[in-house]
Amino acid sequence: MDDLIVKTITKLVVPFIQLYGIFVILHGHLSPGGGFAGGAIIGASLILFTLAFGVNHTNKVVPPSVTEKIETGGIIWYALLGFVGIAVGTSFLSNKIAGFPLGNYGSVISGGLISLATIGIGLKVASTMITLFHRIIEED
Amino acid sequence: MISNHLPVYILILLLISAVTTPAIKPSSKKFRPKLVGTLTIASLLALTMFIVVWTNGPFYYNFGNWDSVIGIEFFVDEYTSLFVLAVLLISLLIIIFSLEDILHDIPKEKTPHYYTLMLLMVFSMLGMIMTNDLFNLYVFMEILSLTSCGVISIKRNKANIMASFKYLMLGTIGSVSILLGIAMLYMVTGHLNMGATSQTISSVWQMYPRNILISLSFILTGLGLKAAIFPLHVWLPDAHSAAPTPSSAILSGIVIKIYAFSMIKILFRVIGIDIIKAISINEYLTYFAVISIVMGSVFAIGQKDIKRLLAYSSVSQIGYVFLGIGIATEMGLVAGMYHIIAHAMMKSTLFLSAGAVIYRTGIRKVNEFDGLGYELPLTLGAFSIAALGMIGIPGVNGFMSKWYLGLAAFEIGKPIFIIFILISSFLNAVYFLPIVISAFLKESNRREQIMIRDDIPFTMKAPLVVLGAACIVTGLFPNIIVNVIQRALPTFMTFVF
Amino acid sequence: MANLDMILDNINYIGAFTLFIIGLYTVLTHSNLLKRVIGVNIMETAVFLFFVSIGYIKGASAPILDQITGESFYVNPLPSAMILTGIVVAVSITAYGLSLLINLYKEYGTLELDEIISKEEKAND
Repeated sequence: MDDLIVKTITKLVVPFIQLYGIFVILHGHLSPGGGFAGGAIIGASLILFTLAFGVNHTNKVVPPSVTEKIETGGIIWYALLGFVGIAVGTSFLSNKIAGFPLGNYGSVISGGLISLATIGIGLKVASTMITLFHRIIEED
Repeated sequence: MISNHLPVYILILLLISAVTTPAIKPSSKKFRPKLVGTLTIASLLALTMFIVVWTNGPFYYNFGNWDSVIGIEFFVDEYTSLFVLAVLLISLLIIIFSLEDILHDIPKEKTPHYYTLMLLMVFSMLGMIMTNDLFNLYVFMEILSLTSCGVISIKRNKANIMASFKYLMLGTIGSVSILLGIAMLYMVTGHLNMGATSQTISSVWQMYPRNILISLSFILTGLGLKAAIFPLHVWLPDAHSAAPTPSSAILSGIVIKIYAFSMIKILFRVIGIDIIKAISINEYLTYFAVISIVMGSVFAIGQKDIKRLLAYSSVSQIGYVFLGIGIATEMGLVAGMYHIIAHAMMKSTLFLSAGAVIYRTGIRKVNEFDGLGYELPLTLGAFSIAALGMIGIPGVNGFMSKWYLGLAAFEIGKPIFIIFILISSFLNAVYFLPIVISAFLKESNRREQIMIRDDIPFTMKAPLVVLGAACIVTGLFPNIIVNVIQRALPTFMTFVF
Repeated sequence: MANLDMILDNINYIGAFTLFIIGLYTVLTHSNLLKRVIGVNIMETAVFLFFVSIGYIKGASAPILDQITGESFYVNPLPSAMILTGIVVAVSITAYGLSLLINLYKEYGTLELDEIISKEEKAND
């Protein structure tokens, strides 16, 4: 679309949407949300950017090769976190027994494995949503 | 220390290999060795797990060291590890076959995506076999459903996309029914773990009999829809005949059996054999199984396309497995579980040899098979061995599964099932024997009567030879598999938590 | 027989099953392929409604532990976690089904099942 109002408002609003998405991801163990919801919010902000500025401009800002690498990196990050439990001696995906730091109750750095894993999940969901949208909207 | 975590190693190896496959260009030298190497290492790990379970007994694996009741756990017994090993070996052979064969269906740039989907399919199948938790079963089942639709529609053809859409819609109805059934079970018992549920189920049965009946009907309908029992099989012929050859081999050989095995797990471990005999649900399963056996063969007789014929024959063969489950004695379960592995080998051989014929000559119609035995002797030899097994000639493993089914039917005093098994063997012969005879004995006016060597690549010849030999070996020595099943049977008949 | 109190107490479950049957009817009988995808979504929404209403206890609080009071009477959080996974599965199935429909539309020019079948029969003759 070539509308000036849409482009200006999008440029102003997208950083706030992404900030809200990062907040939902990082507070996954304290309030509702977590990896899926936060990743969907960040993905939605990038879809808004695509709708306002066109697919070509978005491909220059967030190239498809970068999103592919983030997708792969999300799963490998999750598997590596699980293997920490095996390396210490307990089962896969152990939390407190494997020695992840459980800080004060109610703060952000508590819950050990959970916040680290949700960062991986959130990034993967966001990159998947942007990839799906670009595939569907491209004219073959 | 390494032997405790073997299920996790196998699964994570497959997952990471599936995710990093698109990063390698298909024309580089590292692509094929990486694929084959991953599955070989996974098969070696599965063999190690089988040896460990055979010597030490079954074991539980808890994720995150949580207790069984609140966490997810895997339960690996003797038959589970044998099934995992069989799935991995057959998938390895099918992927070796597909290295050359897939190039005439999809362009070369898309082959990394195809192999990502295949590796994710194997990953989800292994997860479904090993799990002991009802919701974990549902999650792996969804991964399997989506990726199996993906390997059909990766070929951009009108018929493929329509068949894949039909499979997606009907498969989703099945998944949603299963989720509703699991929700109703959770509502009454309060547990999602199969062991914990089976402990509380007998007291729940006194209080809420109708709830368990409804939830069981939803779960059985959903699983029957995905495993293609007779009235609910309408997606199977289109999907399995339009797909590329390696996809139809793995779909028809292994994927529909996984749902039958999940039905065995839910019926015998969660619900327990007393409640099953009280509602007599096994009798209704045998009725549907018998109808499926006969009608599948009847539909297959009139088909002209070779792949559609093999797809309808799958409907008939899955009826044997359900007949074994429905008889619900020890011998019946032995017959059903033996037929799962035996039919996987036979059906993969049939589909792969049909694919080799299509690759070399482009012939798909059954009445044009004259004289092909002289042009492609190895391919049609493997086809004939597997076809004789489906008919039930002694020496191939198909005969042994019919033998065990007959023994089981005789034990419970219903010899009418033996008559139906004989009728279906006769019907199988009606549509398989003309192909074998016309390939080797008829003259054709297009080619000479001199037997020449097969003109197909080595990566396509080797899996056919290995699978054909495996059919004969397990037919002559069935005790390799039956001993494993009989050691694992106590965990099905009386599940002690 | 079924007095009004019993219906009003279990209105969630009755609503879930009604939605399930409406969705099933839409998937099986409508001729437009897009409406079948919508029907599948309705069925999945019905199952999620059923799941969430299992865990609900009347008069209980949200399952977030309050440090001051330490409440112990809360709604069951497990079904909500299971629904989150289910919603992601539903989104994936809808996205995949819609991309298949785009390809079908490019091939045939229509999304009605009757017209697609008649075009196939004309092409086969």
